[in-house]
Amino acid sequence: MSKPELWVIAERRLDHIEPTTQQLITKAKGLAGDQFSVVAILLEATNDHLENELTAYGPDEIRVVRDDRFPTATDAEHADALQQLVTAYQPNSILFGATITGRSIAPRLQAKLQTGLTADCLDLRFDDETLVATKPSYGDNIMCEIICPDHRPQMATVRPNTFVAAPTTGDATVTTATVTFHPVDRLQVKAATPVVNTATTVGDASRVVALGRGAASSATIDSATKLAEKLGGRIGVSRPLTDQDRFTHDDQIGQSGNTIHPELIINFGISGAVQYLVGMQDSQTIVAVNADENAPIFDVADYGYVGDAQAFMTALLGQFN
Amino acid sequence: MKIVVCLKQVPETNDVTIDPVTHNLDRRGLAGVMNPFDKNAIELALNLKDSRDDVQVVLLTMGPDDYAESLREGMAMGADEGVLLSDRAFAGADTLATGYVLAQAVKKIGDADLILFGRQAVDADTGQVGPIVAEFLHQPQITYAANLRLSGANEVTAERLLEDTKQTLVAQLPAVVSVRSELNTPRYPTPRNIQLSFNKPLTTWHHDDLDLDDSRLGQAGSPTIVTKVYAPEPVKRELTPLTGTPSEAASQLITALKQRQLI
Amino acid sequence: MPATTAAAAKLLLQMVDDYTQREISPYDMSMDAAQDFPKGFVDKLTKTGFLGIMLPQEFGGAGFGPEVTATVLNHIARGNASTAVTLEGHFKTIDQILKYGTPALQQALLPTANDRIFAFSMTEASGGSNPMGISSTATREGDHWVINGDKIMITNGGLAQVYCVLVKTAPDELSVFVVDQDMPGFSFGKREDFIGLRGTPVGEIVMDHIVVDNDHLLGKLGDGGVIGDSAHDDARILMGAVLTGIMEHELKISTDYAKERKAGNTPLTDLQVTHRKVADMAMRKETTKLLYQRAAQLKAAGQPYSEEAAMAKAHGSRAAVSAGDDALQILAGYGYSREYPVEHLIRDARAMEIAEGTVEKMRSAIAKAEFTK
Repeated sequence: MSKPELWVIAERRLDHIEPTTQQLITKAKGLAGDQFSVVAILLEATNDHLENELTAYGPDEIRVVRDDRFPTATDAEHADALQQLVTAYQPNSILFGATITGRSIAPRLQAKLQTGLTADCLDLRFDDETLVATKPSYGDNIMCEIICPDHRPQMATVRPNTFVAAPTTGDATVTTATVTFHPVDRLQVKAATPVVNTATTVGDASRVVALGRGAASSATIDSATKLAEKLGGRIGVSRPLTDQDRFTHDDQIGQSGNTIHPELIINFGISGAVQYLVGMQDSQTIVAVNADENAPIFDVADYGYVGDAQAFMTALLGQFN
Repeated sequence: MKIVVCLKQVPETNDVTIDPVTHNLDRRGLAGVMNPFDKNAIELALNLKDSRDDVQVVLLTMGPDDYAESLREGMAMGADEGVLLSDRAFAGADTLATGYVLAQAVKKIGDADLILFGRQAVDADTGQVGPIVAEFLHQPQITYAANLRLSGANEVTAERLLEDTKQTLVAQLPAVVSVRSELNTPRYPTPRNIQLSFNKPLTTWHHDDLDLDDSRLGQAGSPTIVTKVYAPEPVKRELTPLTGTPSEAASQLITALKQRQLI
Repeated sequence: MPATTAAAAKLLLQMVDDYTQREISPYDMSMDAAQDFPKGFVDKLTKTGFLGIMLPQEFGGAGFGPEVTATVLNHIARGNASTAVTLEGHFKTIDQILKYGTPALQQALLPTANDRIFAFSMTEASGGSNPMGISSTATREGDHWVINGDKIMITNGGLAQVYCVLVKTAPDELSVFVVDQDMPGFSFGKREDFIGLRGTPVGEIVMDHIVVDNDHLLGKLGDGGVIGDSAHDDARILMGAVLTGIMEHELKISTDYAKERKAGNTPLTDLQVTHRKVADMAMRKETTKLLYQRAAQLKAAGQPYSEEAAMAKAHGSRAAVSAGDDALQILAGYGYSREYPVEHLIRDARAMEIAEGTVEKMRSAIAKAEFTK
């Protein structure tokens, strides 16, 4: 008898694979052991070869379904194709990235399959064949372990950058499968244009360049603006900088401003007063650059550089090109 | 044109704690407020109502009787009426069972052209109920809409912002739309409209008012079970120093961020 | 309170708290520095319906009663006292038109009170405490009255569009007329440079041969003293509420700070000297709250409330200054710094030991009321 399948639904991000997919494959392999077979499911156009971006992460199988309509397919059309695959292959569990696409398709599929879906997970494990998904609630103040004991497949969306993708040496088998594409005429994707930065405020930016009193010169702010553009993020400031004409209260990070938890925050010239720290310490990756090596910001940082903010920023910008 | 806005009531703060003895969530003393993201959906409905004469906005929620407060607040913002789905049989529902009852209620309300949702609830943070309702109603869905306009007698055009793509979508009505919070700034209910909202109809529907399959309700109809609730350990961070000249340090950082797939 | 009223009040306060947090608090520091409301600030307050909170529904208002209205100002003042005081000046004026205006005057004026700020002006350069010392006059000419005079230190002076003015209609007769900034002969004078409540404009109006008809008389000829006293009473309840809000703000700053800081190795929250200050602040806040709510309840019930209103203001103003002093001491150097709001809260509170009758006058009024018992 073949092993039950653990699926990772591959997601396209423009002409590439969304990094979360690779992270999920690595995690799934760790979970699967000898018990499950890790299968990446990839819906792509006939001339696409996105599977090439998945093989290095070593899933047991990459199952490709090709149809030129997939790149512009709607959520319901994707969910319909996936439902046909689920019916054909009966996977034990299905993992999606908790991206906007993943969070839109997964619940649509869940409703078709009438099964359980746990959203935005931060951890996964198996108890025998039961998937135990850890999801945060109440703004990450509470963690819940959630299972779906009596329905299959088990489904979860997983927060991007929760796991680290690790290339392996193993070879993946690429297979093809077919489904019937059922077009839904009532909804059409009319256009899709790449945008560097979809964030409109510091509160919804996934990358933040934060400036404080030690990085307040107009030249530094200009450099920071460029850096934020390159990262696809926004500038945020600590309270003293809200007095500058270029910033308002809306740009402020901290207790009396925005509480943010971006994937990446780079703090320049911010010492890290308590009121500031509570507004950003739940960010996923925290970088701090400050001239004072005893600044409290280093206590919450993953990466720290003791030195001049402007000099470091200039060097960083230079190496981005 | 009839717009149904689905909303949820959530605790006023996310500062909830775990009872050290029972290990249950301690929500005592926490007042309920309307999920802030749902106000963006109401604001969208009210903007459409302001732009033409024939728009009727109905608010819909499922929960205990005190959820009526959030319906009243939405009516004070300008919605025309509220429907509360309240019954012991609905309690303990996960997103699937909630979506089922909401979908059945939308059918009973009848002739809904647009069914709107906020992007997600701030307590459970799933954002799943909109797509589930769309599937149960066999309607197209536009999630995370960044803007939306009526582009024809029976058609809406919306933009959806994915991580790095902007999609333009055109949907024939009826359709289900969930909105991003950047879509608009919700209006405040004026003091006068707060008073006048108490003259607007607020209806409660119980189990027997809807056409329901009992096996799909409440806990029995919910595939997922919460087995454990706990407070997360504070994230312990280990500081990796970046050393050397600014240029050397910057290069170390870029390597690290690439490893983390952040750039 | 009937269930519907209580539910509406709950929704209202929820909206007020939300609005205060997002639209008012962020400007608390900057309006003190700029000595004005930010651009568009009053328009937004108006558009959101704040001016009509206590205006009866028949005039297009929300019709909330005295207790809810005072509580709203209490909550706003947690974020910024100037905003609350500007509303106080407007509400006390509407109250007098409701109490003393003829139906015709009410119909003409009050529907516009949702969009226009109203002000009540008594003080003149010749002295504020003795109403008989004023020199503004209204003189009858045929069917009309001609008003001349100069009023200063008007709360919302320059911002308000409608003014109730106390004038002499005879050497020993005080009366109140309603004038409008659009009337010929009306002009604004200088704005005061006060040390506290600096967001709220306090200014001067000059009336040079303003011609009004008899409809613009509030109450009867000679009612001026009574209406002036009544305006004071209504203002004092609301000031008790504003002072409560200031003290809640002072307490919040103090406890937040104490929870974060240590003296040596001891958290401030473990020091008895902190306990004493915080406990005193809390008691001052709570007694003021009880006093203004008591006065508002009496007013809502149609009973006399003049003495209780005076107590709320007399007790509350000194309480808020003292509480601010305690807060300053808890924050020490930061309390003394302009980067923290404590120092301006003290200046804000200090205004209310003077405005709407000095604390000395309050005490006389309270004592006289006691002598008659």
